[in-house]
Amino acid sequence: MNNLSRRSFVSFALASTSLLAMPAISTGSARPKVVVVGGGAGGATAARYIAKDSKGAIDVTLIEASKHYYTCFYSNLYLGGFRDYDSIGHSYNNLSANHGVNVVHDWAISVDSSARKVRLGSGATVSYDRLVLSPGIDIKYDSIDGYSVEAQTKMPHAWKSGTQVKVLRDQVLNMPKGGTFAMVPPPNPYRCPPGPYERISMVAHILKEKNPTAKIVVIDPKNKFSKQGLFMAGWEKHYPGMVEWIDNDTHGGIKNVNPETMEIETDLDTFKADVACVVPAQRAGAIAMNAGVTDGDWSPIVPASMQTKADSNIYVLGDASVASAMPKSGFSANSQAKVAANHIRGELTDSRVFPAKFSNTCWSLVATNDGIKVGANYKAGEEKIEVVDKFVSKTDEGNAKRKKTYEESIGWYNGITTDMFS
Amino acid sequence: MVNIVFKFFIAISCLLIFRGLLAEPLLDGADFDYGEYLSGQCLTCHQNSSDEGIPAINGAEALYIAKKLILYKNKELGNEVMQLVAGALDKEQIASLAIYFNSLEK
Repeated sequence: MNNLSRRSFVSFALASTSLLAMPAISTGSARPKVVVVGGGAGGATAARYIAKDSKGAIDVTLIEASKHYYTCFYSNLYLGGFRDYDSIGHSYNNLSANHGVNVVHDWAISVDSSARKVRLGSGATVSYDRLVLSPGIDIKYDSIDGYSVEAQTKMPHAWKSGTQVKVLRDQVLNMPKGGTFAMVPPPNPYRCPPGPYERISMVAHILKEKNPTAKIVVIDPKNKFSKQGLFMAGWEKHYPGMVEWIDNDTHGGIKNVNPETMEIETDLDTFKADVACVVPAQRAGAIAMNAGVTDGDWSPIVPASMQTKADSNIYVLGDASVASAMPKSGFSANSQAKVAANHIRGELTDSRVFPAKFSNTCWSLVATNDGIKVGANYKAGEEKIEVVDKFVSKTDEGNAKRKKTYEESIGWYNGITTDMFS
Repeated sequence: MVNIVFKFFIAISCLLIFRGLLAEPLLDGADFDYGEYLSGQCLTCHQNSSDEGIPAINGAEALYIAKKLILYKNKELGNEVMQLVAGALDKEQIASLAIYFNSLEK
């Protein structure tokens, strides 16, 4: 048997023969229950992996209000005209049909963590042994003076995909000739660090074609941003003279916005826009706040498992968590979901629990066939998720490489959405 | 009865095939369950229905997968994401992934 241990050989042989047995999904009421709130990159992946890998031994319920999920990732490519809107929409049907996940289209309103119950908008309650919260972000509307829920159609944030991205695309397409598009990116920390700058690239791509004398002004509450050198070199190359990025030190701070006059006031100047995308500060989705597992705006987690520090029966994934070095991205949430799923199965069915392994890559499109990327591997430290190794695209790499990076991002989109919804 | 004999035959064949595979030093220490867990990281990008942008790897030869991962780990193949992924894998993890993906249907 060479160097192969007897134990791993036996488990391997059993695994191979178990393929022949094709276990049916058990429907016994004594099965442990996992409730997952939020059907995005974290929640859909967690629900799918727990149900799939436990082979029916765990009763999994997914609570998600939307019947059709439009991914936030790649919504910028829809904005830029590189994708159809329908192509970023996905159904939950396969999670039920293929893995026996009980998909409930409703809002989770509150969590009673001592009774281990989730109350839904319909008034029904669902019991859990373990609860996974993956609610994404809520927008802090009051973080910018003058911004509000009512203002969001005039100055869309379009930071949660869905119809706001459609509104924004229509506004850009109908902008007056030679007009001004203003972008106010969010302060740190926020969902999708390169997202605002990919968005600027996609708007520039439309304007270059349809409205080439138009201008883009970026009024940033930060002094630096993700993949900054790559984006700025790309803007200069593809859209020379069109994009002006103004950092916080230069404009001195955003004092307020006025959706009626379409003005953005800073210490430096008042900017008047024809179309404005204003993305306020963010915090964990409301259900994480309600469950009492947040500290400030986000939910601290135990790096080895993604359990919350406040309640070991509750796990928080993705944007809503404090994942330290990991950015708030769909890729990160998907990666964290697999660590949590493995841990939950171990707790509820005594299956083997392996060491946490996290990764992330963020691809962005700067112009047609000009893709860039940044990525890292992470490990669970005692207190924080820590970087092991990382990379970022280079400014001087050739066109062929950039095209390949864009094509790779298409492969990734197909991969992650299959991993979430198939 | 025929069914039982057939299953027995398949099971024995699997054992013999895997034993043969595992005689290969690159696949020493392979752990199927660990490979299944580790595969989660790969499946964020690699899926089975198309090769667009990123290749499908289900059902590939175990040795082929192990050798590719080692080339990426040593930066002898040039894709930053794969260099990162493979760079963080040890020998046992590479072997585990190789036998796991080999076991999946193409």
